[in-house]
Formats: sequence, structure tokens, C-alpha cells
Amino acid sequence: MGKTVIMKIMERASGREVKVGERVWCGIDWSTARDFGGASCALQFDEITEGRGHVWNPDRIAFTFDLQAPSHSEKVSNNQKTIREFARRQGITRLFDVNHGIGQHVLLERGLVKPGDVILGTDSHMNLLGCVAAFATGVGSTDIAASWLSGTNWFRVPETMRVEVTGEFQRGVSMRDFLTMLVGGLGAGGMDFLSVEFTGDTIERSLLSERVTLCSMVTEMSGKIGLILPNGPVLDWLAERAGPEVRERAAAIAPDLDAPYTEVRRYDVSELEPMASCPDAPDNVRPVREVAGVPVDQVHIGSCTNGRFEDIAAAFEVLKLSGFKVSPGVRTIITPATREVMIQAARAGMIERFLEAGVVFTNPTCSLCTAEHYGALPSGDVGCSTTNRNFIGKVGKGSHTYLMSPMSAMAAAVRGVITDPRDIVCQGRD
Amino acid sequence: MRIRGKVWKYGDDVNTDVIFAGKYTYTIKDRAEMARYALEDLDPEFARSASPGDIIVAGRNWGCGSSREQAAICLKERGIGAIIARSFARIHYRNCLNEGLPIIISSEIQDLVKSGDEVEVDFEGGEITAAGVTIKFPPYPEFVQGLVNDGGLVPHVKKTLGLT
Repeated sequence: MGKTVIMKIMERASGREVKVGERVWCGIDWSTARDFGGASCALQFDEITEGRGHVWNPDRIAFTFDLQAPSHSEKVSNNQKTIREFARRQGITRLFDVNHGIGQHVLLERGLVKPGDVILGTDSHMNLLGCVAAFATGVGSTDIAASWLSGTNWFRVPETMRVEVTGEFQRGVSMRDFLTMLVGGLGAGGMDFLSVEFTGDTIERSLLSERVTLCSMVTEMSGKIGLILPNGPVLDWLAERAGPEVRERAAAIAPDLDAPYTEVRRYDVSELEPMASCPDAPDNVRPVREVAGVPVDQVHIGSCTNGRFEDIAAAFEVLKLSGFKVSPGVRTIITPATREVMIQAARAGMIERFLEAGVVFTNPTCSLCTAEHYGALPSGDVGCSTTNRNFIGKVGKGSHTYLMSPMSAMAAAVRGVITDPRDIVCQGRD
Repeated sequence: MRIRGKVWKYGDDVNTDVIFAGKYTYTIKDRAEMARYALEDLDPEFARSASPGDIIVAGRNWGCGSSREQAAICLKERGIGAIIARSFARIHYRNCLNEGLPIIISSEIQDLVKSGDEVEVDFEGGEITAAGVTIKFPPYPEFVQGLVNDGGLVPHVKKTLGLT
């Protein structure tokens, strides 16, 4: 019997043959923490080593300040200070402070992530790094602190589901809509404990930003990791940043032809329409046209799921076709994933047009993925967002959020009500 | 070990945002204080009325969503004796283990009990007794039991590294 991608990753990391279902100790390539959770990890590490411990390898630990960047309160500031001091004391130089953006994206852009890496982080969407076939997973602070001691942690070797995607998206439809459809079909537990390999011509042609979207939403189906073997321009991009060895690393973990899959699911996206996760769960899915007309108080475009340049550019296109004006009744917030993305948007001349249109264009951060940061919703308000969760109360008690693609979100911003973006981008077309 | 307690019953896909709201994760560092906000957005009565040894009975995918360990800590600090669910979300499963909060996978008890019923759990025997019916539940996988026997992940790692 052959091996799946995750089996090959875990064999490299554990240094031995692995079988599906067994638990193995793996060497960790990166053990990271962000400002949210990072202070707990640092304090816990000091507690278990009585303040005298050294981390196993300061060059394999990174901190990313993204959730509350910049800090909005003294308490948050003090937590961030705790992390800075810990990093200094331990000789950890990779501390990406409040001016960098969302952690996983920063690690990717810095060329720190290679296919086959095993990566821990205090973010349940760490697994979006499966977009370049790294095994990254969110864990709690104890798992992080323990890994800082030994450079290892344990994992169950998961079963693998294969998802083959074919066809081209129609205008107004994007990878986010495919994901939303998938979450609705499979449900919140539909990929429970599974590794998922995404293949097919749609995936092979997809941009890095689309792969990020795809892999990050695996979390909302309780998947362990979604994996895409880098190819074409994505592999070139990665090799440029992370070094030429990524080509060999990717080839080494390609699945065997007789690899065992629990299930192979096939989807054709050519007839797909814009989809929305309705309140108050990601898997409560309906086509956007079925909820069209719902009045919207706030729109947010950003997050680790849909905060890359291509996402912002898709929203820009909708805004442009609407005469560069958002509805005055809608608070529209755009948050780039990283500083690099923000610079791209600035160079493309988009930020000025967004600002003129009435958009709040913010610094790179996770922003509305947590309440208590800017953009929290008051009770009774309805939001449209490209983030990945709309759990009840998440961005404000008594508020409700629809999750959707950047195009659908901007369509809601310009019309003031939930709108099928095809009504805007397909105007004058057959 | 045996525990006996009152049931708090919940459904499928209960996420860690409703177990411990994100807005408190930054500001509350005291473990005992975390217990005051446990399950606030799902069941405000829980934090007010749960007693030590009480047992959560849930459906599928308990603890999905955010990786926050506080979701395990607040239940542990509130005195919860065990969580019985049809399945657990994997990050929360690890966090409960790491916090020493017993977790039991069972799909039979949900139809037998309602909130407020008394349930007894015999961990050594692998049995739950509810409404006069005894249900067997599987032990932890051997690997996980090894970690539990060592006192959890951190003591296990320290032992392996010769730090204890």
C-alpha cells in the first residue's frame, strides 16, 4: 500500500515508517505563537522550567503579533511586552511585531515555510500553510510550551480524504464560494480529524491566494490539514523566497498512486454560484441570491482566509463597476493580510480609490476575527464578512454575520443590502 | 476513580468561542476567574449553577473552532468532572488532556439523559451509569494513556529529556 502526503510528511518528521491511526512523535520545524496566546505560552514555559529554561532552538521559534495589532489596551500591551521580553531573553530573533500582519502569511512571505515542514502555532487556522504542503496545526499553550522544551510533539497519523476539483469559475464566483459550498455540504464535522489532499485542474491552475482560502477553511470542517502540492507559478514563487530546495521537498512528499484514501470526492465548479454562510454557523449555507436584500450595517474584507492582494483586487473590481462609491449606510472595512499586501494595494493605486469611496482601509491585522478589536458589532447589527467564522457573539453579542467572498462582500457594501455580485460584474454581458 | 454529578447537556458543534469568549482571553489570566465566564454565550446558567463533579454531555465535535486552551481551563476550574461527547474537536481534545480534564467518547448516553439528571462515571471500569443503565466506554488509546500516566504532556517531555 502506498503513502499519502501526510504520511510522507510524518515519516520525515518522525524518522520512521508510520501507519494511519498510530500516534508518533514528530520533530518540529517551527513552533510559533501569536500575541493572542503567546504570552500564555511564554509564562507557561517559564513556570515549567522555573524561569531557568532555554528553548530547544531559538531559530525555530517565531512570534507573530497579528490579532491585536496595534494593541488596543494596556492589558494587551503588557501581554505583548511579556512576549518581547521572553524572545529577547531566549535569543528568539523572529518576532514579527505589530507592523507585519497575519502570522501564517508573514511566515510564507518570508520564505520560512517549506513543503513537508511540521509547524505548530496558537492559531486554529495555522493549517492554511497546507497551501504549500506544510503540515501546520493550531494547538493550545501547553502543546507549544512542551514543544519549546523538546522540539517535538505527538500527532495521530490521520486518514486522508481526496478532493478533486475541476472546471472554471464563472465571473463573480471564486474559490471562497467553492469552499462555502463545501462547508455547507460536509458540515462542521465533515473532515473530522482528516488530512485532505486537494487536486484537479482547478487546483493546479489556482493562485496562492486561492489555495490559502481553500486550506484555511478546512478548519471549519474540523479537518486536521488541507494539503496542496505546490506547482507552476506557486512553486516558482516559493522557490524564490524559500530556496530552490523546495522543489525537491515538494516532489519527495507527492502521494503514491496507490495511496489509501477514505474517500475521493469530485466537484465541478463551472456551474457554481456565489454562496454565503448564514448566521450563526459557517455550515449554514445558502446561495447569496436566496438571502439577497438583507440590509447590512457593516462589511469587512480581510482575514487569514481572504486578505491577500487578489482578494482586495476582486473587491476593487466590484467597487469600480459600481462607480467607486460604497453605500453611506454601510461601514466598510478592508484589512490587508500583511504589510506586503498593503504595499501591493498601494502601488496598484487601489488604496486611494478605496478611501475616496468611503472605505476604512486599515493596517494589516486579524481585526474582526476577534471581538474587542476595532469593528466589533453592536447588538442587532448585521455584518457581511470574508472571515472564516460567524459563531454567535464572536464579533459582538447579539450581532449576526454572513460569511462570503470578497466580491459578494463588496457587492453588499455598495448596495447596502446583500447582493449577488453577478448583478454587478456581469452587467452588459450575456 | 469514580465521580458522580449532574448533567449539563448540549448539542453538536459547540465551539470554543462560546465556551470561553475571545474578548476575555487577553484580559483574564487568573484561572479561577476564567471559570466565571465558562459557556457564557451558550448557557449563562452554567457558570452560576454548576457544581464540582458535574458532567457535560454533548453531541458531535465538542470544542470546535479556536485553539484557545482557556476553553478547557475554564471548565476544569469550574469543577467539571468529565466531558462525555459523541466526538471531540482535535485541538480541544489535546487541550483537555493537557489540562487533566477527563474526556469520554460515547454515543449512547445522549439519548438516556437530560440536563439535571445524575450520572456516575467509573473511570477504571470504563462505565457510565445513568437512569439505571450502565454503558461501557472505551479507554484512552494506549499512547494517550501513557501521557496521562506520566501526569500529562509536560511531565512526560521533562521525563524524556531527563529534566525531572
